[in-house]
Amino acid sequence: MSEPIVRLEGINKWFGKLHVLRDVNLEIFPREVLVLIGPSGSGKSTLLRTINMLEEPTEGRVFFEGKELTDIHTDLNAARTRMGMVFQSFNLFPHRTVTGNLTLALEKVLGLKGEEAQRRALDQLGHVGLADKAGAWPSQLSGGQQQRVAIARALAMQPVLMLFDEVTSALDPELVNEVLLVMQRLAAEGMTMVVVTHEMGFAREVGTRLIFMDQGVILEEGVPREVFANPRHERTKSFLSQIL
Amino acid sequence: MTTTAAPQAPPERGIRYFVAQQTTWSWVTLGVGILALLTLFAGVIGILNAYGWTQVCPEDAPQGTCAPTDPLTEGLLSPELGVLAWVVIGIGAVAATLAFSRARRVPNKQAKEAAIAGAVIGIQAAALAGVLLWFRSAGVELFARNFLNVRLLGDFFPRFVNGAKNTLILSFLGGGLGMILGLFLALFSMSKRAVVRAPARIYINFFRGTPLIWQLSFAGLGVVTAMKLDFFSGIDGPYRVAVAVLGLNLAAYSAEVYRAGIQSLERGQMEAARSLGLSYLQAMRFVVVPQAIRRVIPPLTNEFVILIKDTSLVVVLGLAFNQKELLGVGREIYSSTFNATAWLGSAAGYLIITLPMIRLVTYLERRLRSGLTSVIG
Repeated sequence: MSEPIVRLEGINKWFGKLHVLRDVNLEIFPREVLVLIGPSGSGKSTLLRTINMLEEPTEGRVFFEGKELTDIHTDLNAARTRMGMVFQSFNLFPHRTVTGNLTLALEKVLGLKGEEAQRRALDQLGHVGLADKAGAWPSQLSGGQQQRVAIARALAMQPVLMLFDEVTSALDPELVNEVLLVMQRLAAEGMTMVVVTHEMGFAREVGTRLIFMDQGVILEEGVPREVFANPRHERTKSFLSQIL
Repeated sequence: MTTTAAPQAPPERGIRYFVAQQTTWSWVTLGVGILALLTLFAGVIGILNAYGWTQVCPEDAPQGTCAPTDPLTEGLLSPELGVLAWVVIGIGAVAATLAFSRARRVPNKQAKEAAIAGAVIGIQAAALAGVLLWFRSAGVELFARNFLNVRLLGDFFPRFVNGAKNTLILSFLGGGLGMILGLFLALFSMSKRAVVRAPARIYINFFRGTPLIWQLSFAGLGVVTAMKLDFFSGIDGPYRVAVAVLGLNLAAYSAEVYRAGIQSLERGQMEAARSLGLSYLQAMRFVVVPQAIRRVIPPLTNEFVILIKDTSLVVVLGLAFNQKELLGVGREIYSSTFNATAWLGSAAGYLIITLPMIRLVTYLERRLRSGLTSVIG
């Protein structure tokens, strides 16, 4: 097997007295689509956010492409340019146009010239089917369109890993599919992805590995179809029975 | 059978509808109320005009025999004005009576509103007329001479213009300094490091916790003298001290405004920026601060309006003749002429500057509330 892109070692995280991640170990390999499911408060979002260090683990080590992110000498900003993240609430920059959302980091972080950044941004918007919205303001877009812009914004940096944090949870039901389709195509293109989601259909069809978390612990792990068909753990069983 | 409800235009509820709903009763009530107010204004202006506002006293007039405001006093005390006031009170009472006579059987909402408006306007006119009567019973001559010598304002008009110019210079220089400094103070005061946070907090609390007049006096009399600061001494010294202290003071207040603005942004904005690889400072500069500034433009303009009025406190620094701002000019004219009309000139000057800014705040607040996330663009 190839080298993992991400390795988490003995991750513990406390919010005050609340123990949200309990000694989690995890490796993520290239081209994997790892789906994290679990009840709310199970720590799946926190786990996702420790991968790009938006949450600093209280204990444990995070490795990305062989570099230890928990080491204070590591250039975290440089590492973050190589992993994109998409949020539940889109978090587009409302004071910049759609293109401006994409070009900001291209210009200020990657140092691309204005024209080149523009070209890459437009190219990326085309990929998510929003080339015609390049000059629009985020507030003029539907939720689904905003989320696709957010995905394009992350992809424009040409990352090797994409993190999705419940990206369809804030969307109206009829807008969920357009976002899932973009993600599905991305997976087909071979992107390594970690996806926290409640979309069990997506988990089953697109996911290559499924992790079920509860109370800060990875309880069960396996090929999605098999876990869905045959959950070994009691908690997994009851969770799936409630959600499916 | 299927019935589809086709979309329709909303029912007409404009001014035309409002007019159509009126009855004779509501028309008369509204008309009488407005008549009371118009009679009052037109009457007072007409009578005072007939007597005259000011007079030019001959150079050789013996002391005490001629005052510029004599015709105005005469007009204010004239029997015609007394009769007018009572007539207005009468008309106002008629409007109120008309309204209340049918209050229990109003024909519809629109007619009711019109009648109420007529009654309220009538009562307001009557109240103003009452104040006028009360005023006539007091020392009208003294008041007119001290406060209504409009000729004096005309004579000193260039001085007021110069004062307004200085008020504006002090406000904009101090305001500019304060708003730039305040942004950095706000960023420092939100640092996660206590050693950066603490000095900013101490600064903010000190400048918010002591009176501006104390700060001006202390800086002008104490600090500048003791520190031998060349920049702040000499003829322009007090002026520069004024700008510096006004700026330092506004910095503390605007820092709190900026902080509120920055903290009102969703945490996701910072997280999204950081997740793209922007550093903390880049995220602040390109994502958080530009949005926060748009949000705080109305409260910041409010602080600026307060600063405009606070420039009046620089009188404690003893500015030179040409450096005096609006209140300083008023004060000086008062002390040389012993006529308080000068104060009215100062007040008028402040209002001319501040009223448009207050309007601007209201306008910007409405624009921000209407869901547009950006004021610009």
